[in-house]
Amino acid sequence: MSATTLRLGGWLSLPVRRRSVVVGGALAAGIVVIALLSLTLGRLGIAPADLMPAILGHSTGPDAIVFEVLRGPRLVVGIAAGAAFGVSGALFQTVTRNPLGSPDVIGLTSGASAGAAAFGLLWTGILPLPVGALVGALAAMALVWLGTGRGFSSPARMLLVGIGVSAMSLAFVQYAITRVGVEQATVLASFLNGSLASRTWGHAALIWVSVVVLLPCALLTTRRLQLMEMGDEQADALGARSAPARSWAVLIAIGLATAAVSVAGPVAFIALTAPQIARRLTRSAGPNLVLSALMGAFLLTLADLLTQQSPFAVQLPVGVLTAVIGGIYLGYLLVAQWKKGTV
Amino acid sequence: MTSTATRTAAGLTPGRRPASQLALGLLVAAGILGVSCLLSLAVGTKYVPPVDVWNALVDPGNSYADTVIASRIPRTLLGLLVGAALAVAGGIMQGLTRNPLADPGLFGVNTGAAAAIVTAAALGWGGATSVWVALPGAFAAVVVVYLVGSGRGPAMPVRLVLAGVVVSALLTAYIQSVTLSLPAVFDAYRFWVIGSLAGRNPHLIVEVLPFIVVGLVLALALSGSLNALALGDDTALALGAHVGRTRLLGAVATTLLCAAATAAVGPISFVGLAVPHIVRSVTGADHRWLLPYCVVVGPALLLTADIVGRILVSPAELMVGVVTAFIGGPILVLAVRRMRASA
Repeated sequence: MSATTLRLGGWLSLPVRRRSVVVGGALAAGIVVIALLSLTLGRLGIAPADLMPAILGHSTGPDAIVFEVLRGPRLVVGIAAGAAFGVSGALFQTVTRNPLGSPDVIGLTSGASAGAAAFGLLWTGILPLPVGALVGALAAMALVWLGTGRGFSSPARMLLVGIGVSAMSLAFVQYAITRVGVEQATVLASFLNGSLASRTWGHAALIWVSVVVLLPCALLTTRRLQLMEMGDEQADALGARSAPARSWAVLIAIGLATAAVSVAGPVAFIALTAPQIARRLTRSAGPNLVLSALMGAFLLTLADLLTQQSPFAVQLPVGVLTAVIGGIYLGYLLVAQWKKGTV
Repeated sequence: MTSTATRTAAGLTPGRRPASQLALGLLVAAGILGVSCLLSLAVGTKYVPPVDVWNALVDPGNSYADTVIASRIPRTLLGLLVGAALAVAGGIMQGLTRNPLADPGLFGVNTGAAAAIVTAAALGWGGATSVWVALPGAFAAVVVVYLVGSGRGPAMPVRLVLAGVVVSALLTAYIQSVTLSLPAVFDAYRFWVIGSLAGRNPHLIVEVLPFIVVGLVLALALSGSLNALALGDDTALALGAHVGRTRLLGAVATTLLCAAATAAVGPISFVGLAVPHIVRSVTGADHRWLLPYCVVVGPALLLTADIVGRILVSPAELMVGVVTAFIGGPILVLAVRRMRASA
């Protein structure tokens, strides 16, 4: 296996494999291409020549509005939210040792939906839905923390309690949707699918700060998590104290997912698929955090580009499209795997 | 280690309750179910004392109370059928996939039925909640899941679950895009999707009855084979169990049960997931006891939820789908807290 080791002082050494670097570079390039396309395409697109001035804030007129208000924040939020979902999913899947682990399974995204629904139902128009989503996600996680009886250290318990919290949240959401008028219900349902429409630079700042703070923390847990893939006893014997490591990983994952959900709504499928796709592309074990982040950002911005530009899906929230992209890709992987006979 | 695991899986742990105790427990559960049936007929906007309920059942007259009770008979019967169907489907699904988190919706049954119903509503066919729309949709979804999940080899649990995730995601995206772009369909869908026993056409009972009966009989006949499956495919094969056949018939039974239940009352979350869990804490993992208990405990939970929904916001009603989630959620959390320290 062609791996070199990246060392930073005495406390960080990450083995870096060539295949991972190639995949990561391709994803980063893909994100840049999508970013350029999403700013330049369409009726309101900025002409390529005017792009640099618009980004640097030198342009006036329509281009400035397109960049500053319509497409810039949306793109920037999409990249960071996608990355946050990807990392969060990777952490959950590693910690729970379950390929279907994600912030959805422990009730985080449904809690966020319920929070948004409650704010939409109770305080119509006073507080924005994203605030509700933030409160809901945190409340759901508090419930899970209390419900397990031992915090975030036991994945099996978290999954089960999460299913309970999730079921209650979704029931509340469906109830809320039947209690409001059709118009308002449609707006609510749209947000509850996850949407990047009409974001602001404030959202962008929130999610970027979260990612910049939490991603390095997540990277610090990587080595222990890799050891824990061999089972707790082995990992403990090798010096990775698994119970606290797991709690930290879960806390970081929750922080990332909560930030992402509050700016983008519960876009569900990114957290589930991004780590899986990244893992299969690189053929490596471990949580693959950086690649999961890139893959998440790539998928979310791609889906958002398609929702913006597709003539069929103009009104649809991006969450619908991420489900299609994620679903098709997972299906393709599944078929490819059984053809090779490896699953 | 391995032998302990297999013995636990088969319910043959030394601490297993004797058959006489289990039979007694089943009787007690049946008694509780009887009480909940009686209460379901008695409780509502107009309360009828249980004695009068009994009299009205034994010797129906023309009094006002008799009419009230007659109006509550259909929803009680529906609750019985649907509760048993969902709980047993959940029990089989958890056995088939060897995953205690498996939910009958996992193979795409509910989303298949929902997608068919949404399509019918979008095309403007009347009576879109009828069984004859939901059943083909559910079966089509399961067949696709089974084909994608099987590939060329035998259908493995992991592959089936992943295939179920893929198909469900795509169908959900389809449902969301149809409902979000057609306000009229969305308006009908948001009330259907919550799941309610109230106001259903009594004719539905006759329509779904054969499917549920066939499904239940098939399920109970499979219970021994499901025990063998719990030992792992290789051991089950070595013991002479027909692994592939069991899985196929199990999928057929689950689909029949879930599709009929969903067609009758809309998707009711959580009964299928929570009831087998609750039951397992009494019976252990032996399906020959687990499934009969599910037949009794499922309707008891569903009817209790329905009764609670009638009391809570009287004179209005809370839909049973909302209540099951809010009853089942805390029960699941309590069950988790009682789990042994090892889990």
